[in-house]
Amino acid sequence: MEFAHYAPLWGEALLTVLAVLIVLLGSLMKNSGKLMGYLSLAGLVAALGLVSSNLTIPKPEIFFYDTISVDGLSQFFKAVFLIVSLLVVIASLSRYTGKGADEYFALLLLATVGMMVVASSIDLVTLFVGFELASLSTYSLAAFDKSKKNLEAAMKYFIFGSVSSAFMLFGFSLFYGMAGSTRLADVASTALSNFAPATAVALLFVIAGFAFKMALVPFHMWAPDTYEGAPPLVSALLAAGSKKMGFAAAFRVLIVALVALRMEWYLAFAILAALTMTLGNLAACWQNNVRRILAYSSIAQAGYIAIGFVVVGAAYGVAPITKFGGAAVPAAQLGIAGALLLILGHALMKTGAFIGTAQVASMVAKGNDKDPDDISNYAGLARRAPITAFCMLIFMFALAGIPPTAGYIGKFVLFSSAIYSGLVWLAVLAILNSALSLVYYLRIISYMYLREPVGPKVAESKGYVAALVLTMLAVVWIGVFPQGFIDWALQAAAVLLPQ
Amino acid sequence: MAGEPMAVDYYIPLIIFMIVGAIVPIAAMAAIKIIAPLRPSRRKQSTYEGGLAPIRDAKIQYSVQYYLFAIVFVIFDVEVLFLYPWIYVYANKAMQQFMVFGFMNYAVFEMLLFIVVLLVGLIYAVKKEALRWV
Repeated sequence: MEFAHYAPLWGEALLTVLAVLIVLLGSLMKNSGKLMGYLSLAGLVAALGLVSSNLTIPKPEIFFYDTISVDGLSQFFKAVFLIVSLLVVIASLSRYTGKGADEYFALLLLATVGMMVVASSIDLVTLFVGFELASLSTYSLAAFDKSKKNLEAAMKYFIFGSVSSAFMLFGFSLFYGMAGSTRLADVASTALSNFAPATAVALLFVIAGFAFKMALVPFHMWAPDTYEGAPPLVSALLAAGSKKMGFAAAFRVLIVALVALRMEWYLAFAILAALTMTLGNLAACWQNNVRRILAYSSIAQAGYIAIGFVVVGAAYGVAPITKFGGAAVPAAQLGIAGALLLILGHALMKTGAFIGTAQVASMVAKGNDKDPDDISNYAGLARRAPITAFCMLIFMFALAGIPPTAGYIGKFVLFSSAIYSGLVWLAVLAILNSALSLVYYLRIISYMYLREPVGPKVAESKGYVAALVLTMLAVVWIGVFPQGFIDWALQAAAVLLPQ
Repeated sequence: MAGEPMAVDYYIPLIIFMIVGAIVPIAAMAAIKIIAPLRPSRRKQSTYEGGLAPIRDAKIQYSVQYYLFAIVFVIFDVEVLFLYPWIYVYANKAMQQFMVFGFMNYAVFEMLLFIVVLLVGLIYAVKKEALRWV
C-alpha cells in the first residue's frame, strides 16, 4: 500500500486522526479546551490546504473499490464544508474553552469528515455511512449547551433526522433490490434500462430522505425550531454545513437519476422549489426571533438552490449557452454551477449571520433573561457593536442577493440558467421572492442602524469578530471577482453530466 | 419484464418464507385452542418465572446509570461481532498477501485500527467517569 496513492484523501484521514486524538488527549489532560480548539483549527487549515492543492482534478480518481471518487464536484463541496467548519471553529475559540470543549471540537471534526465522505461517495452504502456520521455528530452538538431549549432542538432534529434516514435507507434498499449493486452508476443504468414502478417509489423515498436534510418544503418543519434552539454556532454549522451535505448527496444521486431517466420529473422539483422559496420567505416576514428569520430564509434559499435540479431536467435538448466567459456551456451544466455557487455563497453568508447572532446573544445574556435572539436586542447594534453590525449588514444584503456579493452571483447564474432552459415563470417567481425577502432582511438592518441603542457599547469578543470579518471579506470577494468562482463551479458541475 | 429476471424476483423465496413463518405460529395456537383440554387453576395462571414462585411486581425502576453501561457494553459487543467476519477474511490466502508498510498484514492493520479507536473510546469513558457508580 502506498501512501502517495491516497494523497487526495489525506484531508479526511488527517481530520479523523485528529478527532480521535482530541478525544484521547481531552480525557487525559485537564483544562485542555483552548489547546483542543487551536489543534482543530490547525487541522482544518491543513485539511483545507490539502483539498485546495488538488481543487480541480481533470479526471475523477476512484478509491476503495468504486466507493469513493475524488473529482471536481467532491472537491468543491469539501472546500465549502471545510471553510464552514473553519469559521465555526474560529468563532468557537472564544466560546468553548472550559469543560467539554474537547468533545465539542471532536464532534465538529467528525461531522466535517462525515460531510466530506458524503461529498465523495459514489456508492449508496458509503454515502449512508458518511451521512450518519455527520448526522449523529450534529445531533449531539445541537444539545451541547444542555439548556432546555437545546434539548428540545436536538430532540426534534434527532427524531426528524432519524426518520429521514430510515426513508433514505428504504429507498436505497429498493435500489439495491433492483440493481443488485450499491454503486450509483449501476443503479442509474438499471433504472434506465428497466424502469419499474419500484424505481419511482425508491426515488420518492430517497428524495424525501434528502429533502429532510435540505429542508425543502414539506419536510422543513424541524429547521426553524432546531436553528433557534441549538447553540448559535452549532446552528451555523447546521444551516451552512449539514444542510449542504444534503445537497451534495442529492446532486450525486438525483442528478444521475434525472439525467439517466430524462423524465418529466423536473416539474415535480419545480413545484417543490417554488413552494419552498415562497413559503420560506412568507414565513420569515412574521418572525420576531432573528434566528427563526434566518432559519426561514435558509429554507427559502434551499428553494432557490433546488432550481438547479429543475434546470437539469428541463435543459435537455436546449442549445448550449455561450455567455459567462466564452466557451459554449450546456444549460444543465450552467444550472448546476449556479446551484453550486449559491451553495458556496449561502454557506458563507449563513455562517456569518449565525455567528453574528451568537455575538448578540452573548452580549445580551449577561444583562437580562429575555429571549437573546429577539429582534429588539438588535436595536442600535451599529453603535453597540459596530463591527458585528456592519458584517451583519453585508450578510443581509448578500442573502437578499444585492450586488456585489456572493449571494448575487449565485442567484444571477442560477436564474439565468433557468431562463435559458425555458423556465421563465420559475425565474420570475424566484426574483419576486428575492424582492419579498428584502422585507425581513431590511427589517433587521433597520433595527441595527435606525433604532436607538438599548444598551451601552460592548466589547466584541475576538473570536467572533475574526470569524465575522473573514466571512464578510469572502462574501464580498466572491461578489467582486466572480469569474474564477464561476469557472470553478462550471468545472465541478461537468462531473455530473455525461460527456 | 420477460426474459432476464429482475433482482426483485430472487426475493420470492423470502416472501414465501415470511408467509409460511406467519402462518405456522397462528396454526399452532389455533390447534392448541381446538385440541387441548382447558382446565385452568390458580397456579397454572400465575406468571411463569423460571419455575419459581413469582416475587414482586414486574415494573421496577432502574437507575439511569445502567444506560451508560449498556452503551459501553454495546460498543464492545459490536466489536466482537466484527471480529467474526474478520477471521473469515483473514483466513483467506489471497488476503494475506496484502501488506501495509511492507511488514504488516492488511487485515491485521485494519482490525488494529478499529480496536485502537475503540480503546480510545474506553479510555474516554473511564476518564470521564462514565463507568463509576455514583
